Amino acid sequence: MQRQLLNTLGRGTRQLIRGQQMRPLSVSAQRREIFKVQSAEDFDKKVKNSQTPVIVDFFATWCNPCKLLTPRIENIVGENAGSIKLAKVDIDEHSELALDYDVGAVPVLVVLQNGKEIKRMVGLQDEDKIRAWVAAAVKESKN
Amino acid sequence: MSLWKLLQVSSAIRSIARSASYLGKVKYDYDLVVLGGGSAGLACAKEAVDNGARVLCFDYVKPTPVGTKWGLGGTCVNVGCIPKKLMHQASLLGEAVHEAVAYGWNVNDQNIKPDWQKLVKSVQNHIKSVNWVTRVDLRDKKVEYVNSMGAFVDPHTIEYSVKGGPKQQATAEYVVVAVGGRPRYPPILGATEFGITSDDIFSYDREPGRTLVVGAGYVGLECACFLKGLGYDPTVMVRSIVLRGFDRQMSELLEAMMSERGVQFLHTTIPSSVERQGDGRLLVKYRNTTTEKEDSDVFDTVLWAIGRKGLIEDLNLPAAGVETKNDKIVVDSKEATNVPHIFAVGDIIHGRPELSPVAILSGRLLARRLFAGSKQLMDYADVATTVFTPLEYSCVGMSEEMAIQTHGPDNIEVFHGYYKPTEFFIPRKSVRHCYLKAVAEITGDQKILGLHYIGPVAGEVIQGFAAALKSGLTVKTLLNTVGIHPTTAEEFTRLSITKRSGRDPTPASCCS
Repeated sequence: MQRQLLNTLGRGTRQLIRGQQMRPLSVSAQRREIFKVQSAEDFDKKVKNSQTPVIVDFFATWCNPCKLLTPRIENIVGENAGSIKLAKVDIDEHSELALDYDVGAVPVLVVLQNGKEIKRMVGLQDEDKIRAWVAAAVKESKN
Repeated sequence: MSLWKLLQVSSAIRSIARSASYLGKVKYDYDLVVLGGGSAGLACAKEAVDNGARVLCFDYVKPTPVGTKWGLGGTCVNVGCIPKKLMHQASLLGEAVHEAVAYGWNVNDQNIKPDWQKLVKSVQNHIKSVNWVTRVDLRDKKVEYVNSMGAFVDPHTIEYSVKGGPKQQATAEYVVVAVGGRPRYPPILGATEFGITSDDIFSYDREPGRTLVVGAGYVGLECACFLKGLGYDPTVMVRSIVLRGFDRQMSELLEAMMSERGVQFLHTTIPSSVERQGDGRLLVKYRNTTTEKEDSDVFDTVLWAIGRKGLIEDLNLPAAGVETKNDKIVVDSKEATNVPHIFAVGDIIHGRPELSPVAILSGRLLARRLFAGSKQLMDYADVATTVFTPLEYSCVGMSEEMAIQTHGPDNIEVFHGYYKPTEFFIPRKSVRHCYLKAVAEITGDQKILGLHYIGPVAGEVIQGFAAALKSGLTVKTLLNTVGIHPTTAEEFTRLSITKRSGRDPTPASCCS
């Protein structure tokens, strides 16, 4: 609750000063919510075995739409404070993992709960669509 | 016997019968092992799987002396056709900015410079996306892929290890060697320490600057030309002639076009050594073999484009008994080596054109012969090709000298002409080297033996004519084909002046 206030205050102040949309202030809990997958074991531990549902962001360094999507999804996950996590997977670093999840074109967002895929979104979308999609994912995960 | 015992015995008999019939079929781990994941290897592997084979494909890139590496897809995708075409396009666009001014665009075309790092990043991003798509495609088509080199242990067994792990083996009924080639380095001082090749230039982390391109084959000429177009200062060092193996007249015209654009040539010259100076630049010493004069000059980059060698050394071919010649593998008309179940396709074959489309088609046809009962052989004759210099040169069929040699000068008619592309007038672009010719038999309807064209988008122009030539195109048909106007390709339908007539092949104007 306090973190949310801090984040909103921080964002609001920065918006006033700089007049543009900023990424939320990084607070320690966020680091557990948004992370880059380091290995297959890391993925098992933090994604498959996660109590909270996880959005997996499959991206590539050579993909321009991915570069636009990642900050948008990080923003939105931050807004949802704790109800959903974000795991980022570089498909060149973890090709087998990406292929296991049928990643063809990137970016792809896959929502996993208890290791099972609930929904996925392929391609860059605008922020409102992503926000609605994440909200739906959070709702479905609670059922 | 009880019912239960009866069932047990009968099922045992059935499984024994099944294994007995299996023993005939499943002797090997795979129906096909393909060594090499480039144009040839992938085409062959995918076609084989489409026809029911179990396929394992190996691909591995040994880093260049300066450490450049790349992903799946072979030379064409990573360090050949694709990045070359993109850089060629980049240099053409630089020219277009200047032309745009003549057409009324308010662009500032003074001192425009390319952002080399940005160009390289864009090119590399595209290449990496193709690497990924290739990977997904292999997975979707159920071709097993291993990122490792494979070496023969015996004619049916390949040994490999993944990322320095334990050695593993795979056996195969058929093996296709499609490992391609890599650029050669000259055996002179400093060649590998200070020189780069086409393997490195497309991801080069610094601006090439003043570049010495050693070699005047199409790789050397294309590199020199896009470097020139991007504003760098290339010099081409030619050992003997430009574009060996291509039509002489067209090659000389292409060289004249490049000279007109400011590319320097060092003729009949060979390099002696490369050293790095105190200021970081490269001192190249060389010798003119005609004058026997020694000389030297300073460059920022030295690019070797002196030819390519087949990658036979890591295959351990002696273990399989496969014969090689000049660092390449010898095959017959069925792409079979001297060992009946071992084949080779692509750049690794001795004496065949080193072209991606040739590799792809021959790989596919081979797979169909092995697994689909096809009898169709690859036709290596009349393969069209293009040199992507700023005015491009494309040809299909025989060169003029080849036609004279095979048919005799009195049995050949050569139609030729210079032409002026409509778009060149306004920006006053040089048309001095826009030229085309058709080499034909002199008798009857005059079957066309070869077509040659220098001009814009030469590849696009010649592609359709290549199919026509394969269908037996004659001069009669060509001249009765109505041209599309205004294009440069239509000039082929307007050919009327023969070399034999001695008339001036320079046109007065278009449209008549």
